[in-house]
Amino acid sequence: MRSPREAGGGTSLSPTLSLLFIAPAAILVLAAFGLPFLLLLALSLASPVEGSLVPDMSNPTLAAYSRILGDGFYLRTLATTLAMSLATAAGCLALALPLAHWLARRAGRARRVLTAIVLLPLACGALLPTLGLVHLLGPLGVVNGTLRGLGLIASPLPLLGTQLGIVIGLIQAFLPFAVLPILAVLDRTPPVIEEAAITLGATPARLWVRIILPLAWPGLLAGGLLVFCSALTAFVTPQIVGQGKVATFAMLAYQQALQVLDWPFASALAVTMLAALALAAVVTFSLARLRP
Amino acid sequence: MRHRLVGTVAFAVAALPALAQDFAGQTLVVGTWGGDIERLLRTHVAEPLEAETGARVEFLLGGSSDRMAKLYAERDNPTMDVTFQNIYEAPQLLADGLVVAPDPESPAFKAIWEGMNEGCYAMSLVGLGIAYNKQLFPEPPEWADLWKPDYHGRIAMAPYPSSESDGFLAVAARLAGADEHDPDAAFSKLAELGPPALTYTSLDEIFALMDAGEVAAAPMISGYVLSSLADWENIGFVFPTDPGPVLVRDMVCQVANSPNPELARMFIERAVGVETQTAYAEELMFGPTNSSVTLSGEAATGTINTPEEVATLVQLDWPWLIEQRPEWTERWNREILGQ
Repeated sequence: MRSPREAGGGTSLSPTLSLLFIAPAAILVLAAFGLPFLLLLALSLASPVEGSLVPDMSNPTLAAYSRILGDGFYLRTLATTLAMSLATAAGCLALALPLAHWLARRAGRARRVLTAIVLLPLACGALLPTLGLVHLLGPLGVVNGTLRGLGLIASPLPLLGTQLGIVIGLIQAFLPFAVLPILAVLDRTPPVIEEAAITLGATPARLWVRIILPLAWPGLLAGGLLVFCSALTAFVTPQIVGQGKVATFAMLAYQQALQVLDWPFASALAVTMLAALALAAVVTFSLARLRP
Repeated sequence: MRHRLVGTVAFAVAALPALAQDFAGQTLVVGTWGGDIERLLRTHVAEPLEAETGARVEFLLGGSSDRMAKLYAERDNPTMDVTFQNIYEAPQLLADGLVVAPDPESPAFKAIWEGMNEGCYAMSLVGLGIAYNKQLFPEPPEWADLWKPDYHGRIAMAPYPSSESDGFLAVAARLAGADEHDPDAAFSKLAELGPPALTYTSLDEIFALMDAGEVAAAPMISGYVLSSLADWENIGFVFPTDPGPVLVRDMVCQVANSPNPELARMFIERAVGVETQTAYAEELMFGPTNSSVTLSGEAATGTINTPEEVATLVQLDWPWLIEQRPEWTERWNREILGQ
């Protein structure tokens, strides 16, 4: 009888050799993420020096954090950013679930081409599609121009420079992050389950709620978390579509880091954002247990 | 005969590196804005300097705040030799020891109008005026006209911090009977305009909206605006008189402890020299700081180029404004954008 290891056809590596193989990745993560993160943390505790932009690292203080937590403006901005990120995640999932299901079950031969089209925003980067959106959503853009031409509105709808516009832009940018995990999960579940439900008389609504949604749940959670985190830290889309009029946490961090050059405060804003991301991950993992 | 020709060519080839040997192999790194500014600096400063010294000039393009952040991040080991900054950044850089103080004995210092070299050497003079839609404003507006109820919420503004927004706050304070030292007056007066119609970051964006009347007017800096107006018949630009336009300066700085200090000084001498300053004025409508430049025609009328004109401009207390920056950024976020 063959041992499972032999059956798998693999050969086991000695512990030293496996360490050697993961070492490059571990070093990369440590150097590219771990050390800068520690620096960020240290910088967020530095104290500002009167009349200078060079922070004093020898005198740690929590002043930057108390400025964020003790000020309605920053807390409101954090709440707005979280709400916009949640709306983006919800919007992406609502669009991604039927789209992924259709791609998995019905697209047939066109699937490859259609999946490539869905992934296109990832290949273009954030800037080009966002600039395209400015032309669509602007006061002189396609949407307002069409509505005005049809006589439906007298003055252009304010789509740019609003939270709604930013959420539209973020959904457009991050939809692939939601489609891919759901598609991967649906691909792994045999279509016969859904066919059996229909044969047994399930209505379409019941099929979606009782069969497809629970099957896709892990994909929905993974996609939701990816979109939420990307939206929370997004900078380009809120900056361009928001026209600098809607404050988000990432924009405040940019403003403080690169325009005001208050690096301790900018670092504290970034650390707060990271804390929000960690919290989002914890919430998602606990939701994973609540599979419907 | 042929022998002589070969000999001459050989001599010339051998002599070329000899002339330039002092700086051959060195690379001067200059941080500046892209587009026309880079083009003019390349033609009038970098290329002659390269020919004269054998050094190479490399431009690092981007916004001045990016350069400012780079200077602070690299403060122990700078890689830039020369950097172009705004007037509101230069004195802070000098205070933190990141740039070399302008040398009063240098030809560059002496060529520039007195009192202009704050923190670094003054490179060009521009004024904050008003760009406006000509149909909405049949007559060129004064600052106070922007506060008429018809234009509520239709004035575009630059992001904060910027020379434009500091200047506009200072104007608002003066209209309220104070000056920039009274931030309460400045912010509450500016907030009366309503939220900005647009926070503009590109000329094309704001001019398209201004042309269509979606944006009525915006405080903007002459120079680029004036040189772009030819493409926009429906948009005008005016230097108001009550108060006068706000003087804004671009500065050129020698980075402290940079790898090539001598080349940096030579670059700066050429940058503030008559040739470059004349090209800046004629092609970009940037007023010269070099007092020996004489302009004619369009460049003379469009730019700030005489001490008398400078005297009519509002000069802000920049060192004081820089100290207020963190607090004013917060107030701008809350009181202007957050309306």
